[in-house]
Amino acid sequence: MSCQLAILCLLTLLLPLLSRGAPMSPAERITQAYNLALSMQENMSTLLQTYLQAQGSPFSDPGFSAPELQLSSLPPADISFKTWNALDDGERLSRVQGAFLALSQHLQLVGDDQRDLNPDNPILLAQLRDARLRAQGMLGNVAAIMTALGLPNPRAEDTVGLVPFGASAFEQKCRGYIVIREYGQWTDRAVRDLALFKAKYPL
Amino acid sequence: MMDIFLCLKQPSRMVDSKRMRMTSNFQWILLTFLLLYLMNQVSSQKKRTPHDLKCVTNNLQVWDCSWRAPSGAGRGAAYEVCIENGLHSCYRLEKNTKIPALSPGDHEVTINFGSSISKFTLNEKDVSFIPDTPEILNLSADFSTSTLHLKWNDKGSVFPRHSNVIWEIKILRKKNMEIVKIMTHNTTLNGKDTVHHWSWTSDMPLECATHYVGIRCYIDDPKFSGHKEWSNWSLLKNISWSSDSQTKVFPQDKVILVGSDITVCCVTQEKVLLALIGSTNCPLIHLDGENVAIKIHNISASESSGTNVVFSVEDNMFGTVIFAGYPPDIPQKLNCETYDLKEIVCTWNPGRPTSLVGPRNTSYTLCESFSGKCVRYKRAEVPTNESYQLFFQMLSNQEIYNFTLNARNPLGQSESTLLVNVTEKVHPHTPTSVKVKDINSTAVTLSWHLPGSFAKIKLLCQIEINKTNSVHELRNITMKGVENSSYLIAVDKLNPYTIYIFRIRCSTKPFWKWSKWSNEKQYLTTEAIPSKGPDTWREWSSDGKNLIIYWKPLSINEANGKILSYNVSCSSDEETQSLSEILDPQHKAEIQLDKNDYIISVVAKNSVGSSPPSKIASMEIPNDDLKIEQAVGMGNGILLTWNYDPNMTCDYVIKWCNSSRSEPCLMDWKKVPSNSTETVIESDQFRPGVRYNFFLYGCRNQGYQLLRSIIGYVEELAPTVAPNFTVEDTSADSILVRWEDIPVEELRGFLRGYLFYFEKGERDTSKMRGLESGRSDIKVKNITDISQKTLRIVDLQGKTSYHLVLRAYTDGGMGPEKSMFVVTKENSVGLIIAILIPVAVAVIVGVVTSILCYRKREWIKETFYPDIPNPENCKALQFQKSVCEGSSALKTLEMNPCTPNNVEVLETRSMVPKTEDTEIISPVAERPEDSSDVEPENHVVVSYCPPVIEEEIANPGADEAGGASQVIYIDIQSMYQPQAKPEEEPENDLVGGAGYKPQMHLPVTSTVEDLAAEDDLDKTAGYRPQANVNTWNLVSPDSPRSTDSNSEIVSFGSPCSTNSRQFLIPPKDEESPKSSGGGWSFTNFFQNKPND
Repeated sequence: MSCQLAILCLLTLLLPLLSRGAPMSPAERITQAYNLALSMQENMSTLLQTYLQAQGSPFSDPGFSAPELQLSSLPPADISFKTWNALDDGERLSRVQGAFLALSQHLQLVGDDQRDLNPDNPILLAQLRDARLRAQGMLGNVAAIMTALGLPNPRAEDTVGLVPFGASAFEQKCRGYIVIREYGQWTDRAVRDLALFKAKYPL
Repeated sequence: MMDIFLCLKQPSRMVDSKRMRMTSNFQWILLTFLLLYLMNQVSSQKKRTPHDLKCVTNNLQVWDCSWRAPSGAGRGAAYEVCIENGLHSCYRLEKNTKIPALSPGDHEVTINFGSSISKFTLNEKDVSFIPDTPEILNLSADFSTSTLHLKWNDKGSVFPRHSNVIWEIKILRKKNMEIVKIMTHNTTLNGKDTVHHWSWTSDMPLECATHYVGIRCYIDDPKFSGHKEWSNWSLLKNISWSSDSQTKVFPQDKVILVGSDITVCCVTQEKVLLALIGSTNCPLIHLDGENVAIKIHNISASESSGTNVVFSVEDNMFGTVIFAGYPPDIPQKLNCETYDLKEIVCTWNPGRPTSLVGPRNTSYTLCESFSGKCVRYKRAEVPTNESYQLFFQMLSNQEIYNFTLNARNPLGQSESTLLVNVTEKVHPHTPTSVKVKDINSTAVTLSWHLPGSFAKIKLLCQIEINKTNSVHELRNITMKGVENSSYLIAVDKLNPYTIYIFRIRCSTKPFWKWSKWSNEKQYLTTEAIPSKGPDTWREWSSDGKNLIIYWKPLSINEANGKILSYNVSCSSDEETQSLSEILDPQHKAEIQLDKNDYIISVVAKNSVGSSPPSKIASMEIPNDDLKIEQAVGMGNGILLTWNYDPNMTCDYVIKWCNSSRSEPCLMDWKKVPSNSTETVIESDQFRPGVRYNFFLYGCRNQGYQLLRSIIGYVEELAPTVAPNFTVEDTSADSILVRWEDIPVEELRGFLRGYLFYFEKGERDTSKMRGLESGRSDIKVKNITDISQKTLRIVDLQGKTSYHLVLRAYTDGGMGPEKSMFVVTKENSVGLIIAILIPVAVAVIVGVVTSILCYRKREWIKETFYPDIPNPENCKALQFQKSVCEGSSALKTLEMNPCTPNNVEVLETRSMVPKTEDTEIISPVAERPEDSSDVEPENHVVVSYCPPVIEEEIANPGADEAGGASQVIYIDIQSMYQPQAKPEEEPENDLVGGAGYKPQMHLPVTSTVEDLAAEDDLDKTAGYRPQANVNTWNLVSPDSPRSTDSNSEIVSFGSPCSTNSRQFLIPPKDEESPKSSGGGWSFTNFFQNKPND
């Protein structure tokens, strides 16, 4: 039920994208993307919690954290403030777009991994699917903002590319953890980025 | 070992002779030297000849013999070896010689070396059999399974015969070659070179450390009697994993059996800090370099995502996932059947869960052995313990199928088989599209659809026919199966105009399983003409002019449709009257008829037609012999019986009505066949306690004759009212009671009698409590003669109140009671006797007393009336003179703390008190003495404290009187008791009587005072004290106002006193209040006596 509701919400947010006939101002699009980012932020901790819980100990142990685990195929969300501040609109948006493109593809991969590892956990699978849809929604929103602002929209490309499909179960679990962690960090960054845009392009 | 025979026996003999001759202390030393010399001699002799012949073999065919060359023999010295083995064969050889294997037994071997000859005895037992060192052909490793594969050649071709070989293989691990395992492997030699394979699975992944393998053998030839020895170990071969510099954990994604042990290692170049299994820390086993391993014992079943094993290095973590589960259970309850003979569906239960999911979940393959076809079960997204099912397409012309269901997962496999003839395992689908069509009013056709190609088999279908308010009926139908799935049958023997609910299920022959019931199909059959005429009765109206015809509506089964109307006709020989189209809800018709004999005929009509007429004669056949009987029912009905009467040819009719209704009275009637002799009349209208009349009619030629008239109750109840009764007559010893009948409505049963109770008792005191409790003083009369209406009760006591109770009873119980109190008349004789006897006794006593008194009058006078002293001498009366003289000084009254009282002086008879003084004083013991003791000379204090202490003064006027200080003269001879208000009623007092009277209201309770007052008023004659004795007694001795405290100033009755008025004579008659309260009378005597 909650699942269906979430999808419904998502569709509401995605609807303007689908119906391109109705033109929206850049500010409206920014607000819409900002709202989506906020909703993603709200669901973040639940997703991470559900995910870790399903992977067994030590992943499910309280306070589990493995910052040392990294995935090269995902762009890092960490950025120095100076660099971040100096980004122009196009660069800022295209980085967010690139990140969520990679994230949506990785979330698909994580979803497939978990279908093998946790086929009996429909809640986790649904949350992963929701996260992927949201990432795609963010992708679309950012693209729409770029279009609205008249910025060049880079072509979507395969970012997963060299992800080893023969990953072991442990690697899959770690990979999923990194993807969801990075998804959270990129969501936080997107909220900040879009807040900046909101301030810059008020309604 | 070899024995050496040397041709030097002389020295040994010499030694013996020498030793025997030694006797002295040097004997031992000499002996020792001798021995050393001899040994040296022998050895030098040996060294000069070939010695220490040793033979070994490695193939049992050739013995490789060697001996020690004699000293001085150079390299390449030639020897001649001759072996005596039947033929004398000699070989010219160098130091070692290979000789063919000798037959068992001793053989003499002579070795000639130059001039010296050595002889040996050679036996197979002395030969050692040491196989050649085996050589490992190949050592390979399967890292995924941690298995080593070893390959070697047994070189069996060199051995002459078959023999068992034991191979010993050792596994060593790590660079320091710790022996991990030594195992044996048995083979046989078969005369050919055979390459052997041997595999070993390591408990530790092969990647973790270098593994070395060596092998040796032991050939156990049963025919060889010599010494068999192990071969030398082969050269070690090793397996190691060529790692890149990356850290890796082994094994990855391993699936193992629950409860087994597993070793996990981390191949790394970094230092591993800790290892975790789940969240449990594990001790590290250090391997080569930085590599570490951990050992997990008795692993428990994993959760679905597996058990994590994590190695932490300083800034990273590595790990693997182990999936511990079970091999698949044998598929249970495998069952294959078909719904439609097109497809076979096999279902089974997976049994014990494997704890393995996803790609590791159990996969199932269903194979049919005759056709060789297989179908695979697609794994469910979510593992389930519920039933699994697989569909298998049926093959044409194949009925018998042999199924094998194979279950497989990474830990193993299991299977279950089933041989099935599908034509016997048909579980048809639920029939659909059920349709009903009319044939006629009692038959329909049913059609339905049953998918499946059942052309070759027979179907057995069951039709459930449900009728409202009726048990459901099941009809089994066998029919031939058809290819087009449509089926049609006729259902007959139905009732017209009836709602039926049909449903169908089918199975096949032979029976296997019923299909589910189809949906219900409701259908109303068409109408038919009513099967019979209505049940008819008739009654003449009360005036006898009209005949009222009643009929009952036909039951649903008889009506066969909706009854629209009724036709009624009356026909006699002369005429026919007809009333047509009486619409259905009306079930009664009235026809004006004369008293001729008519036949009434009633027919019911529905849309299809008319029923056969039901006929009844208008007139009854008279019956003179008629009695009224009584009957009681069984609560819900009443059983009527009668004798069989062969004259009654049609039927019997019982009609009934409430007996309180007026004529024509008909509640209902019931027809019973002419052969019955009893029936139970039941009706919802029957009520208990209501009287009904039942009439039994017998029928002859459509004419009815009243046979019996019965009044009855379905259930009797107790009467609701008591009979009204009156007392007709009473006398001193009897009462005549008469009562009335109870109305039928209130009787509620057949009256069985009355119960009459009587007992002595007043209306107030005696309540008829517990009449049934059997009190002995209650007399009961049971009147069972219900025609009796009076009762005389005798042997009663006169002038006594009796309590009478009457109640009626039926078989249903006792009615309420009605009671009455009656007093019997006085008994006059007894009264006369009661008066006369005391009068006579009183007269006699009076006469006797008078006579005695008269005779003893002098004595009486002396005793009771002695001479009275002269009152002139009494000092107490002197003050009266002073008063009379008017000496005011002496008259001074001294006020005492007492409440002042009044003394009234009645002017008439002012001098009289003098004579009465002694009489007044005498009864009071204290006061006269006190007054005489404290008598002042001139100062006479007239004071008296009446004991006005605790009593309430009822009359406020008395307070005023008490408060006023007055001097009132009282004639103390007067016996008049003053009223409480002397001021207000002095006239009355004066009128009431002359003489002394106390004026003060006396401090007594109002009740007592009133009584005393009345009493005094009644008896004004003679002296009486004015105070109630009780008031004196009430005063406590220590009271300041008690008589004691006032005793010094006592005076009374003096005209000079302002306060005195109390006379200190206690009343004599203590009984008088009582006697006045309830005077004795004859009435009391009679009334009280029974109670005593």
